[in-house]
Amino acid sequence: MSFEQLVFYAFAGISSLAALMMITVRNPVKAALWLVLTFISAAGVWLLAESEFLGLVLILVYVGAVMVLFLFVVMMLDINLAEMKEGFAQYAPVGALVALVVFGLIYLVVGPEHFGLDKTGLPVTHGPDYSNTKEIAVPLYTQHAYAFVLAAVLLLVGIVAAIALTLRRRGPRDALYQDIDAQVRVRAEDRLTMVKMAPEVEPDVSSKNEEEEGAK
Amino acid sequence: MFETLQHWLSTWMWDWLAVLITILIQAVVIILPLMLVVAYLTYAERKVIAYMQVRMGPNRVGPYGLLQPIADAVKLLFKEVVLPSQSNIYLFLIAPVLAIAPAIAVWAAIPFAEGWVVADIDAGVLYVLAISSITVYGVVVSGWASNSKYAFLGALRSSAQKISYEIAMGFALVTVLMVADTMNLTQIVEGQKGGIWHWYLIPLLPMFVVYFISGVAETNRAPFDIAEGESEIVAGFHVEYSGMAFAVFFLAEYAMMILISYMTAIMFLGGWWSPFEGIPVLETLFAWVPGFWWLALKVAFLLFTFLWFRATFPRYRYDQLMRLGWKVFIPLTIVWVFVVMLLHYYKVGPWFN
Amino acid sequence: MLENYLPILVFVVLGILFGVGPIVVGYLLGPQKPDDEKLSPYECGFEAFEDARMKFDVRFYLVAILFIIFDLEIAFLFPWAVVLDEIGTFGLVSMAVFLALLVVGFIYEWRKGALEWE
Repeated sequence: MSFEQLVFYAFAGISSLAALMMITVRNPVKAALWLVLTFISAAGVWLLAESEFLGLVLILVYVGAVMVLFLFVVMMLDINLAEMKEGFAQYAPVGALVALVVFGLIYLVVGPEHFGLDKTGLPVTHGPDYSNTKEIAVPLYTQHAYAFVLAAVLLLVGIVAAIALTLRRRGPRDALYQDIDAQVRVRAEDRLTMVKMAPEVEPDVSSKNEEEEGAK
Repeated sequence: MFETLQHWLSTWMWDWLAVLITILIQAVVIILPLMLVVAYLTYAERKVIAYMQVRMGPNRVGPYGLLQPIADAVKLLFKEVVLPSQSNIYLFLIAPVLAIAPAIAVWAAIPFAEGWVVADIDAGVLYVLAISSITVYGVVVSGWASNSKYAFLGALRSSAQKISYEIAMGFALVTVLMVADTMNLTQIVEGQKGGIWHWYLIPLLPMFVVYFISGVAETNRAPFDIAEGESEIVAGFHVEYSGMAFAVFFLAEYAMMILISYMTAIMFLGGWWSPFEGIPVLETLFAWVPGFWWLALKVAFLLFTFLWFRATFPRYRYDQLMRLGWKVFIPLTIVWVFVVMLLHYYKVGPWFN
Repeated sequence: MLENYLPILVFVVLGILFGVGPIVVGYLLGPQKPDDEKLSPYECGFEAFEDARMKFDVRFYLVAILFIIFDLEIAFLFPWAVVLDEIGTFGLVSMAVFLALLVVGFIYEWRKGALEWE
């Protein structure tokens, strides 16, 4: 067995084990962290398949961004575990059905009919100067530009949906907002008015007293 | 140097062992000095801030207090590692590892001088960005596992801050890539050869500022250290940690500071190129200085500015911090992406070949 | 390409060891004298009166969601920035459209006040 194979089996083993732990572990935070481990080892497998860019983006986007959101949600919602488990028996058949359907779909797409060395061919190994990123980039922005722009539309919908779902602006009584632009734009004339006043001259008492004291 | 070592080793042992031993030696050559720099960065921090505040700073342990960081390390080593009763012990112990492992793993792809790089990967910039995005887990997990209110609040603030500034950093990196046309860190430095006016600092000056300030925010350093904010939430996400568990967080934070300085120097300040290149007299006068020292000098200056910021600026308030990240830096970087796009299209300046 | 990633694997393993090692050593060398007070969560000397895990402002989720979207955008920009010369004007324009759509999203976000903190 070559070293590469050893590393592959290590990553594959870790990712399968971590995925298994993720669905069996009881604590949701731990489950999320097992999922992180699954992603990281999956990125390792992708790197082994020489898809450098996708492997690193998997870490950047899924580990660095998506799972952080998951952790936020799972950690800070303090979910009641007992309540969550209540309907388990009731929903189990539906769940099993969905799982079967999904498994069937996956089988149809990447089953032995469409998968294997005779179908996909042996991956080509590249030298150290090979740039996987450039290879992906050129068709992405030219040939597949339409799909690429559609991705932007999806992201736009994502922004709008996220804001519509979560944003509730509190009234001015509950929260204080600060308008920094307004603060910066403030000029001295707006805040301060210089009033000309005639100087009020008090009869000079104190100095006279001092003089008298000094004379004594 | 390492290639000859590997050749020599492979004459009398298995090839794979020779490769492994060579890599391990390279790793030690990078990580040990890094740890030493971290130790003396803490010393420098105390000394610099002390002098800025007209104090003496540490001056008891060894001459000028130079042995202070060693004494601190030894002391922390013999301190009890407290495991709070209400915490999730496993997650509590994993959190520091999650903080430091990426902070060390990033260094594999960093070049130190021409050809001095352990892993010369094509997607170097992406690797650094991806791996350093993992450090946020150390914060989130420690804050949650501690089961303490201060730690929880600190983790919440800190993680939201980190992810906000990561966007600005990412966009700033994109503009660098647009100018450099490559993601390989060595090639990015190569592209800045030929004198100070070829440095990416000049076409990307606003991005340099955005990147460095975002870096300060990413590492939770003053004036963006609301995650720690000792006057509000004691020490933030690592209140409950003591002894070596705390030291590991500390190491990770300082290693990330050094990393940010390195990345800034590599991408904007011409890496290991001398600033006097192409200037008649000065160039020959300083020709003997090896590239590594120029890079080290630039990094040292950037690290000094980290300390300078801390001594100068008062802490930001959270809403102001988020405003700076989302409403100033992100629009600025997006605009600059368009600007560089136009510059590239019309081939302006010596930076586009 | 793979030979470049071998050192990275070594560095990742070393990084994990660097996290585990000091804690184990510190655990072995340091004293272990736990007591109830020491192990209770730190709250400036007060007894902790409730569980520290609480619900918090939905705004933090919003920041995380927006972060995902912008992070994806950066992931799309990275390979684009590297091949500017190869994709020509068409590639530039397609990215300009992509960015313009996201700028619309950003402006929407701004106008809606999703970026305001009180």
